[in-house]
Amino acid sequence: MGKSSKDKRDLYYRKAKEQGYRARSAFKLLQLNDEFHFLDDETNLKRVVDLCAAPGSWSQVLSRKMFTESKGNLDGKKIVAVDLQPMSPIENVTTLQADITHPETLSKILHLFGNEKADFVCSDGAPDVTGLHDLDEYVQQQLIMSALQLTTCILKKNGTFVAKIFRGRDIDMLYSQLGYLFEKVICAKPKSSRGTSLEAFIVCLGYNPPSNWEPKLDLNKSVEEFFSGCSLGRLKISDDNKLSNWKIEERDIAEFMSCGGLDSVDSDATY
Amino acid sequence: MSNFKQLSHIGPSLCVKFYNDTILLAAVGPFIHVYEFRSDKLINKCRIFHNNKIHGFDISQEKCVLYGGKSVSIISISDLLNQIDLKHTELYVPEWVVACTLANDNENCYVLTCYNQVLILNPNGVVLHTKKLLNERSILYSGSIKVLDDRVVVNAGTVMGGILIWDLFSEQKIHNLKGHVGSIFYVTVSDDGKYVASCSDDRSIRLWNLENGQEVSIGWGHTARIWNLKFFNNNMNLISVGEDCTCRTWDISSESELITKNVYEVHLTKNCWSCDVQEELMIAATAGNDGRIKLIDMNKASRYGNELQSFTLQSIGETLEIKFEKNEIIKGFHWFSFGLIAITSLGKIIKYVECTQSWNLIVVNEDLASYSNTIGIDNTIIFSNNKGYVLLLAFSDDGRSIIMQKELHTDYLSKVTNCMCVKFDENYLITLESPNPNDNFIALEIEPVSLEIKRTFKFNKPGNFVSSCLEVVNQNYLLVGSRFSTVAIFNLSDCERDAFMIKKLNPGDTVTSIKFVESKDDSNLFSITNRDGFYNIVNINFDNETYEVIHSNKIVKGFLEGAFYNKDNEYITYGFKSTLFYMYNEQHGYEILSQLCGGAHRQWKLCSLDGTNSNEEFMLVYIKASELYLRRIYKPIVPETLVNGLHGREIRDISILPQPFNKEEYLFATASEDTTIRLNKFNLVTGDIKSYWAERKHVSGLQRLKFISNKFLISSSAREELFLWAINTSFSSNPYITVRATLPTSAHSPDLRIMDFDTLFINEDRTDFIVSTIYSDSTMKIWYYDSTDNQFKLLWTSRYKTCCLLNVKLIILEDELYLLVAPTDGHLVVYNITNELETARISDNKLVNIKVPMVPVTLSNLKPEIELAVHQSGIKCMDVEFSKDTFKVYTGGDDNALSISKFYKNGGRICGEFVYSNPKAASSTITSCQLFKNGTRLLSTSVDQIVRVWKVEEDKLVSMASRYTTVADTGSSDIIKDSSLLIGGVGLSVWEYDENSN
Ligand SMILES: C[S@@+](CC[C@H](N)C(=O)[O-])C[C@H]1O[C@@H](n2cnc3c(N)ncnc32)[C@H](O)[C@@H]1O
Repeated sequence: MGKSSKDKRDLYYRKAKEQGYRARSAFKLLQLNDEFHFLDDETNLKRVVDLCAAPGSWSQVLSRKMFTESKGNLDGKKIVAVDLQPMSPIENVTTLQADITHPETLSKILHLFGNEKADFVCSDGAPDVTGLHDLDEYVQQQLIMSALQLTTCILKKNGTFVAKIFRGRDIDMLYSQLGYLFEKVICAKPKSSRGTSLEAFIVCLGYNPPSNWEPKLDLNKSVEEFFSGCSLGRLKISDDNKLSNWKIEERDIAEFMSCGGLDSVDSDATY
Repeated sequence: MSNFKQLSHIGPSLCVKFYNDTILLAAVGPFIHVYEFRSDKLINKCRIFHNNKIHGFDISQEKCVLYGGKSVSIISISDLLNQIDLKHTELYVPEWVVACTLANDNENCYVLTCYNQVLILNPNGVVLHTKKLLNERSILYSGSIKVLDDRVVVNAGTVMGGILIWDLFSEQKIHNLKGHVGSIFYVTVSDDGKYVASCSDDRSIRLWNLENGQEVSIGWGHTARIWNLKFFNNNMNLISVGEDCTCRTWDISSESELITKNVYEVHLTKNCWSCDVQEELMIAATAGNDGRIKLIDMNKASRYGNELQSFTLQSIGETLEIKFEKNEIIKGFHWFSFGLIAITSLGKIIKYVECTQSWNLIVVNEDLASYSNTIGIDNTIIFSNNKGYVLLLAFSDDGRSIIMQKELHTDYLSKVTNCMCVKFDENYLITLESPNPNDNFIALEIEPVSLEIKRTFKFNKPGNFVSSCLEVVNQNYLLVGSRFSTVAIFNLSDCERDAFMIKKLNPGDTVTSIKFVESKDDSNLFSITNRDGFYNIVNINFDNETYEVIHSNKIVKGFLEGAFYNKDNEYITYGFKSTLFYMYNEQHGYEILSQLCGGAHRQWKLCSLDGTNSNEEFMLVYIKASELYLRRIYKPIVPETLVNGLHGREIRDISILPQPFNKEEYLFATASEDTTIRLNKFNLVTGDIKSYWAERKHVSGLQRLKFISNKFLISSSAREELFLWAINTSFSSNPYITVRATLPTSAHSPDLRIMDFDTLFINEDRTDFIVSTIYSDSTMKIWYYDSTDNQFKLLWTSRYKTCCLLNVKLIILEDELYLLVAPTDGHLVVYNITNELETARISDNKLVNIKVPMVPVTLSNLKPEIELAVHQSGIKCMDVEFSKDTFKVYTGGDDNALSISKFYKNGGRICGEFVYSNPKAASSTITSCQLFKNGTRLLSTSVDQIVRVWKVEEDKLVSMASRYTTVADTGSSDIIKDSSLLIGGVGLSVWEYDENSN
């Protein structure tokens, strides 16, 4: 993440420095948590995965919440953080440098967890944008699908999944697909995320996959193929091998929620 | 079912390809545009996909396969050229398509998806086979498939810097080419199967040997990411385009590096996506984010073989069999239709006749040794020295003989340092100037056949005056450009009269050209250029000795030596930048020519090539390293552009001038992230868009712009920039626009943005107004614009909280003045400012008078009368409907909602209630909303790329129509005549809205 001079003037940037966070993004997770409290269950939040984690401010938040500030039992708690970029060590966090769209990465993460399920998966991933909006939005959605692929393999029933989205032209298709896997899908915008950017976060609560579908990681399958067994309403090649014609796809608008409270700092303001 | 009809669209074009030597295909959104490129004719527009943009296509003689997003379509070329709608051929692939290539059999095609899988499709869309590379299924940004004689090679560009080359049928990896850092954005194989070329995030182009996988060479030069590449000229050259908007050609023959052959600046910031080459003609085509389709003549400097010639005095001497002295140099020259006349520092006058390609010594003139000044006009050359001696030689049309010769010995001046000449009706007017401030400024009228002096004019020379260029109009006025951006206008029928001076048009430099543009009644328009880059269109009234700058702008970079309107009425500028001489189409923003010449500070002249002054073909004569260069600038063999394009980056705001420009045409302005404002027009019926000017006054990305009347436009951006622009539509050459006034800044932070503004006119003649400005640091200000002294004066300032303010309106309700503000916190906030502006007088619900307070304005701590929560986060757009005792506010938010709130007075205070909200009015941020049809309809645009029309019912919005737009990052719109609609974002669309259609 390049720091433009604009970021430096930002109040959240200064606040992150003060509080020892590596990036201002930390406040996005904190503000999401203020609303949804997914990090506040000291006994049941034991194992979490932070995807696309570099430079690591979300992992810092997780580490503080689960270890430093927690009064609960620390046994069996685990944080795994993954990114394409190398990350300097964070206390209580296992880091992995890898591409999350590569199926092998997912199998490595699964391996790190042994047979145990995770309680929470998050992804703040963002690809390099090209300026071709449809491509950028697609690649962003693929990052989410890769994160989701891991999630389906590792998240325990009723667990929470949080991921960064760009609210572009096909976001309603993603909302609709997520609706098949979770009880509730909300589009949340923390106050610390700029109003001028398309960025927002999906908060998916109550993981509940279709009962007739068994997620199975196969190193030779792409994400799309992985989900093809699950009736997500995604496209696939029909049984007679013919590509489908154009049709109107399922779309759904997720509930919007602004997070961070009225008194929190406005990231669009000039100070 | 749709009430919307798209009339036209200018937006990113992602792929161009030549079909043959007459037809070029360009992908524009979901359409293919078919051009007869040599004659600049659009012969077909064919819709291929429902919504997806076409990202690329492959063609053979008969067939075409197109792809974009997850869509693929296989069609015949004849359908593509003749049909207008082939949407039914659209097929969906489960994954994003990175490349499609037709197989050799001309039947099937190969589809490479972003998960490194190839589908082999038959023409009916049946997947015959699926091919992939084991264990290599991570995401790709780019790739291509090459059909070679003996095999089909898949080139997959990964996001980690590696390029996987694999054999399609055996599904075996051939190479994993490693060297690039970051994502690979394009990779291709040469037709002979010898090389792979790739480009990436790291701004390099790499050439690889396909046989052994070794890196052969690297090319550096692009200053940003590179998007597309192609081999051409028997695989000896590469052409590349990228984010820096340049197109570059490369020579691949060197062992160690790719050598840059040429650099063309082809598109507006930013992103040139695609390129192709027509190899027989050596014409390249490029497509960019700005919507432009640009053609490049790659042989522009060698098409006729004689474009660039150079001579040394020594080489000229050899053919002449005379000897030039060692230190003798060329002092002056002029190009005529027959050839060149030049003079040396020892007074040798020589002639070059083009048809015989021969040099001649005409005469040696001792008087012109050491100092001489050279001017050419028609077929006459005029030399002068610093003692008042002038030699005129008139040549025959073929240049072979001198048909008249004249020597003038003038003694009006103590010393002559500048001599210029201009046509004066049929005659010539020669001006002579001395450095002595007490000398007159002399003009001699010369009869062109006899070369006799007919009249002599002696003018009083203005102070601080050094002449630099001339123009004569109405057979009576001599306009002389000078240093210090000043023009003196002499009256030829009244020499006694002091010159009418136009002083310091721009900050400072020399006036380099004055060109008459047009006249209408008492108005005379001139284009006046300054060396430091400013150009102005000035309206001069000679009788009253008044003038008005109606247009002013600055070129992008370099020195400006002159400008003119070409035959298509496009404004062309020329001059020097770094080591180049350039000619630039200022109207559309592209370079016509650049010639390496060593830069400014040299002897040079731009003459018309055929002597006709048609402004179409030129001869650039210059001296470089004491050599004489002749650079012929011919008419291009293909049009410079097929579409001109508009903005390379997002259009942030659009405003249509309410009064019609021509019958069916309206002017509109666009404000872009690229920091320019464009003045354009569009046709209501055809949707045709034409852009006139790109104004470069703002230095940061634009926030807002709005025509506040038929004469004025206001624009705002970061750095607290707010400009009042005056529009002039009364001339036939062009509409003109110039900054009239600038808002004072507080200069605290360069990041301080003026997010929005609103105005209220004071008097009936609509010249004075108050304007409210709101800022990203929560500040609100009210200013008074006084047209008599043309200044903004601060009346009031206050601050809401700490959050950014997004929208503002000034409202008069029951003779009180209110300020309505919408911040990022989702509230509507209303202030009663009636008593804050003590001098404001409101009657009959109109602001009738205001005075500037005598004491300095201090921050007011006025509290809002009401803060009404209507959205969860930022209110992105707002429109207000007034009635006698209430006003209704329609708002669209970042929270996907459209809301209605109602305000009225109760017990002297404003009350408000939130009456309606549709929380799912869009699936993402709503960026613009506007009432139309007398407040019975609301138009909204949103980032989900859906344009919607809502029926306004009593406290409710009912969806009436919606349609997908290809304009991504949809952020602005305007509507005129309740039916013509402009939608802006990354691109611009013109739509027609009609409720009666079905
Ligand atoms: C916005 S940053 C994450 C910031 C992080 N949450 C924090 O608080 O420090 C986005 C990250 O996504 C990572 N990323 C993008 N694509 C990825 C991929 N395919 N696999 C793994 N990481 C990826 C980038 O390397 C980048 O570090």
